[in-house]
Amino acid sequence: MTASAIIFYIISAFVLGAGLLAMTTRKIFRSAIWLLFSLIGVAALYFWLQVEFIAAVQIIVYVGGIVVLIIFSIFLTQQSGKEMPRQSLQRTIASVLAVLFGFGLTFLQIWKYNFQPTGKSFNWTVSKIGSQMLNTSTGGYALPFEVVSMLLLASMVGCIVIAMKAPLATNGTADQQLLKKLDGKPEEELGITQISEV
Amino acid sequence: MGWSLENISHFIDSWLYNEFDPTIARLIEFLIIAVCVIGLFAVLGLVLILMERKVSAWMQVRLGPNRVGPGGMFQTVADTLKLIVKEGMTPLNVDKFLFNLAPFIVMIVSMVVLAPLMFAKNFQIWDINIGILFITAVSSVSVIGILMAGWASNNKYSLLGAMRSGAQIVSYELSAGLSVLCIVVLTGSLRISDIINSQANGWWLFKGHIPVIIAFVIFIIAVTAETNRAPFDLAEAESELTAGFHTEYSGMKFALFFLAEYVNVFIVCAIGATIFLGGWMPLHIGNWNGFNHAMDYIPSFLWFFGKTFLLIFVIMWFRWTFPRLRIDQLLNLEWKYLLPISMFNLLLVTVIAILKWHF
Amino acid sequence: MAFLKNYIKEVFSAVRSSLKGMGLTGYYALHHKKEKITQQYPDNRDELILPERFRGEVVMLHDENNEHACTGCTACELACPNATIKIITKFDITPEGKKKKALDTFVYHLELCTMCNLCIEACPTDAIKMAQTFEHSVFDRNKLTKVLNKPGSKIKEGIE
Repeated sequence: MTASAIIFYIISAFVLGAGLLAMTTRKIFRSAIWLLFSLIGVAALYFWLQVEFIAAVQIIVYVGGIVVLIIFSIFLTQQSGKEMPRQSLQRTIASVLAVLFGFGLTFLQIWKYNFQPTGKSFNWTVSKIGSQMLNTSTGGYALPFEVVSMLLLASMVGCIVIAMKAPLATNGTADQQLLKKLDGKPEEELGITQISEV
Repeated sequence: MGWSLENISHFIDSWLYNEFDPTIARLIEFLIIAVCVIGLFAVLGLVLILMERKVSAWMQVRLGPNRVGPGGMFQTVADTLKLIVKEGMTPLNVDKFLFNLAPFIVMIVSMVVLAPLMFAKNFQIWDINIGILFITAVSSVSVIGILMAGWASNNKYSLLGAMRSGAQIVSYELSAGLSVLCIVVLTGSLRISDIINSQANGWWLFKGHIPVIIAFVIFIIAVTAETNRAPFDLAEAESELTAGFHTEYSGMKFALFFLAEYVNVFIVCAIGATIFLGGWMPLHIGNWNGFNHAMDYIPSFLWFFGKTFLLIFVIMWFRWTFPRLRIDQLLNLEWKYLLPISMFNLLLVTVIAILKWHF
Repeated sequence: MAFLKNYIKEVFSAVRSSLKGMGLTGYYALHHKKEKITQQYPDNRDELILPERFRGEVVMLHDENNEHACTGCTACELACPNATIKIITKFDITPEGKKKKALDTFVYHLELCTMCNLCIEACPTDAIKMAQTFEHSVFDRNKLTKVLNKPGSKIKEGIE
């Protein structure tokens, strides 16, 4: 067994072990942390495959984005520090069986397909990925790329609309009344958000 | 053969590969690098904390540490000895595993981010082709360590500090990333060595007109916030949250957080020096051949560390000038000012890059 | 358009005021030798310069004839917020044969004193003042109870 293979098995064991712990731990925050380790392990596998760009994106999107989001939502839930109740035996057996069948199905598919090493080296630089993204000829990804960017833009606009303040008249809290008293001066002039005071 | 870091590392490399099996040689190299990085961390911690205390004293018209050693040089050594000797307490109701893991996560992330940095001419741990993206990606993991520490401490101050820190790091990463992207657009490569080589005829700060200067200013502000330093130190605001996410830490575990803060300052300043100030490239001015030759005689690692420490001084300067922001002011600064400006700025830089207006 | 103008104006004023603040601290950083105000006590005990208004302890002024200006009016005792001063009076016989109230002992409890300066302001004859001595530590707290008028001293002529 070569050193490369040993590293592969170590990383895989790490990913699977962390995933298993994420499933079985009874503290929800620890579960999120184990998920984080599992995802970092996946990024390590990408590094091992020498597709660094995908690895970095994996870290940015999953570790820096999604896991942080999960942790934030855990922080905001009540009683998240307590241990969750133990699952009933019936549920445990059912989930173990589901996992086993799922694993058996996937394993069978891969084993039957009989992958052959091509021997071709595979070198996708970032600039190649970038030009493929903006490629308008056949096999290019310009259209999906633009559609996805429109989707992101739409969600951004939606966020801004949701976060925008309601007009002053509809809201009668003390602060708002104070603002009204001050002849409707914008709150910037009251030093609430003024950057020059920063 | 000159005694540059490049030649020394080459010499060690070829000697190891001649003497040993490639796998063993590689493992030994890993070990050497690990020892070097840990050594660098220890030295940086000592030097930067002393520098911070001296700079703060000077700006506040005080003297600073001046008793231990000549001019107070060994003050931080004494402090470190004290921290090592102190008991590392773990409070009763904390989540022990995560509580003990958190400082190491923060530390390991700082160590990994160091990998693609180029410390001198051709002296680098890992010349990865996505260098700058790698740094941005991995440094976003450090927020997890802080959130973990805040949660595991089972203390409301820690939790509040961690939440603030999370909100702060996640938002300021955007404008820092966009300013880095400006240089990536101008260079057309993510590899650190390419970015440095593109500045052989002048640093980007001078070549890129006003948009790059704006990007540089935004970058410095954003990384100050990302490293949780004053005036953006809401995560540990002493007067409100005692010490924020590391309230419950003591002894060596506290020292790791403290060290990681200063090493992170070094790393972000090193990135700033690399992408805006030319890394190890000496200062060259137009056709002044005599001046340019004189500059070439200064070793490249001195250039790199000189520029980095200049930026560190600027960040310390911020800390000892401005009072702390409130959380709403902090988020306003990012979302209403830095982010729109840096987005618009990126557009300008792209136009400059396409029309080749830069020098 | 007005919004954009305000926005740009805010950004510029923020940059300007930030630079102004940094200019001041930068000046201090560069001129820290000239501007420094730290007194390195106890190294410079001999040439230590205290500010004019520094208050160390209450003393009573005596001139070369061992005469003070205290009439024993107890205005300082009444003014003191925490009973630091206790004045014991006696009756002198004037040359005309009249009895006259005079100071016998001016007791001053340094351990209770907060150096608030109210007694000095209350004194109608400027008999007491604040000294600048500040090294007050002793091994026995009884030593902190002081008698301010010197033995054998008497009131100056002409002070009522």
